[in-house]
Amino acid sequence: MHHVIIGNGIAGVQAAEAIRHLDPESEISMIAAETFPPYCRPMISLLLEGAVTPDRLPIRPGDFYESRSIRAFPGVRVTAIDSGRARLSLDTGETLAYDRLLIATGADPRAIRAEGKTLAGIFSMRTVSDVQKMLDMLSSCRSALVLGGGLVGFKAAYSLLKRGMAVTMLIASGYPLSMQLDPVSGGIIRDTLVRHGLHVETGVEVTAFEGSGRVQRAILNDGRTLACDLVVVGKGVRPATGFLAGSGIDVDLGIRVDEHLQTTISGVFAAGDVAELTDVVRKRPWINAIWPEAAAQGWIAGLNMAGRSASYQGSLGRNVIRMFDLDIMTAGIVQPQEAAGTTQVLTHLDGNGPIYRRFVLQEDRLVGFTLINRIEKGGMLVSLIQRGLPLDPEEKRLLLL
Amino acid sequence: MKQVVVHPEKCVGCMQCTVACAVAHSSSRTLYAALLEEPLPRSRIHIGSTRFGRGFPNRCRHCDPAPCMRACLPGAIYRVSEYGTVLVDPDKCINCASCAMACPFGVIRYHEDAWAQPGKTVAVKCDNCLSRQLRGLIPACVEACKSGALGFEEMDRAQRRKTDAVSDTVWSTSGVVLPAAGSIGFELLHAQKKAMVEMAQTSRA
Repeated sequence: MHHVIIGNGIAGVQAAEAIRHLDPESEISMIAAETFPPYCRPMISLLLEGAVTPDRLPIRPGDFYESRSIRAFPGVRVTAIDSGRARLSLDTGETLAYDRLLIATGADPRAIRAEGKTLAGIFSMRTVSDVQKMLDMLSSCRSALVLGGGLVGFKAAYSLLKRGMAVTMLIASGYPLSMQLDPVSGGIIRDTLVRHGLHVETGVEVTAFEGSGRVQRAILNDGRTLACDLVVVGKGVRPATGFLAGSGIDVDLGIRVDEHLQTTISGVFAAGDVAELTDVVRKRPWINAIWPEAAAQGWIAGLNMAGRSASYQGSLGRNVIRMFDLDIMTAGIVQPQEAAGTTQVLTHLDGNGPIYRRFVLQEDRLVGFTLINRIEKGGMLVSLIQRGLPLDPEEKRLLLL
Repeated sequence: MKQVVVHPEKCVGCMQCTVACAVAHSSSRTLYAALLEEPLPRSRIHIGSTRFGRGFPNRCRHCDPAPCMRACLPGAIYRVSEYGTVLVDPDKCINCASCAMACPFGVIRYHEDAWAQPGKTVAVKCDNCLSRQLRGLIPACVEACKSGALGFEEMDRAQRRKTDAVSDTVWSTSGVVLPAAGSIGFELLHAQKKAMVEMAQTSRA
């Protein structure tokens, strides 16, 4: 049996380990676009901030591939999958046959539409090499522009502020992390960042970048010009599915998989940021592109590939962020779209800490929360959401304490 | 392998376990000197309040598999298999709180600690008092607990005792007089069960 895993992120690594755990004999190949050994993607912002050194990023020992008898293909991309003949085409010109295939290619940064976006000094922040290139340039930079107030934009802005740069953030909504936070908590975070020197611009977009070889200024759609010598684009990510055209594998938001993480083609699996699963609270297909989900999905896909039937209960979006003196934790649905009669929102705000707790319940079941400070018991709340237990009035009261 | 077993129904909320835990994890390991230490040592066992206002000694269960370990970004959380203990390496911890989001029991805290670099905030949780166990002592919280809410015993024995306690309760409320554990009736049952198990084993061999 030959298992082929595309991608050496946490999903791919966990899958390889799960297969080896059950089956010491079968052949495993891992194809990775990066040449860096498996590392922790969420930690790259700490590298930018200067809180960790590059040697702290790898998530497995240097002999990961050899010690587990894995054939590694570093720096190689898959160009096409022929699922009928169970073969992959690689950009080296080779083809590779598989018995079981896992697609764990993750996601790519969403591109922006602006003139001059190929100038030097404009980065996305997705891989360790993105950050290393930023660090190489940092000593000659004074002002940075961050596009997007999502998690990547937020972490980039925070890290660059910590480095002492003048940072401007352009966001469509009035506060950063608007997908994860409600206006009250979003406002607390924006105000904290602004107090620490962040400049926020809302409701504007960049139409062009200018500079001679290297970015020097950005032109906004309201006609203004912003000086900047470093730009970080954090406009979200897109599942990396470009190479799947003609493979017969069904792609919707991401690669569609069943509860065993198997795609529409038998023997082909997908896990991590590239896979579309049912969201445990939204009850519909969704992509929760977060590290713990990728890790769990990779492990379960690996078990299934090795012949042990394991099923996945659905994914749940969640995040925890620490910045300056704030701890922020969110999970599930934060802003319920439909104000149905069964939706209940409970909030508690103590402005001094500040301590903020916000809970969204549907049919008496917790489906989402936001915590600012006092986050220690967040895991219990995540577990409450995942288990979908109905809460009585006294239990709801206890949530707010 | 012995584990700390919690009997929440016996907890009176006296907080003695928290004091003993903090002292056991101080640099000096004595109460009076610990009070003067910087950082002030903190407990790794937490007394929660249940809905009826009763105490609940909440501590790390050293789960297997451990959700905190899988969630840990820098790989700072690891297991010492021979003691069934999950530990945090304070030098590797980046204080990201991913473990707080993963722990379904809410037992991990973030603060400075005598065992971490001075001035560094790290994830801190119960370590099963491994350093005490290596010196032949039982965990400090168990030693301090006078109400019997915390025990240190083999898990399967604790489970068996719990089963007995449940059956005792069921029988006693139904008005049937139950022979005390260890009486002739129980010995007979055990002997019979043991013989059956042995027979099954020999027939397989």
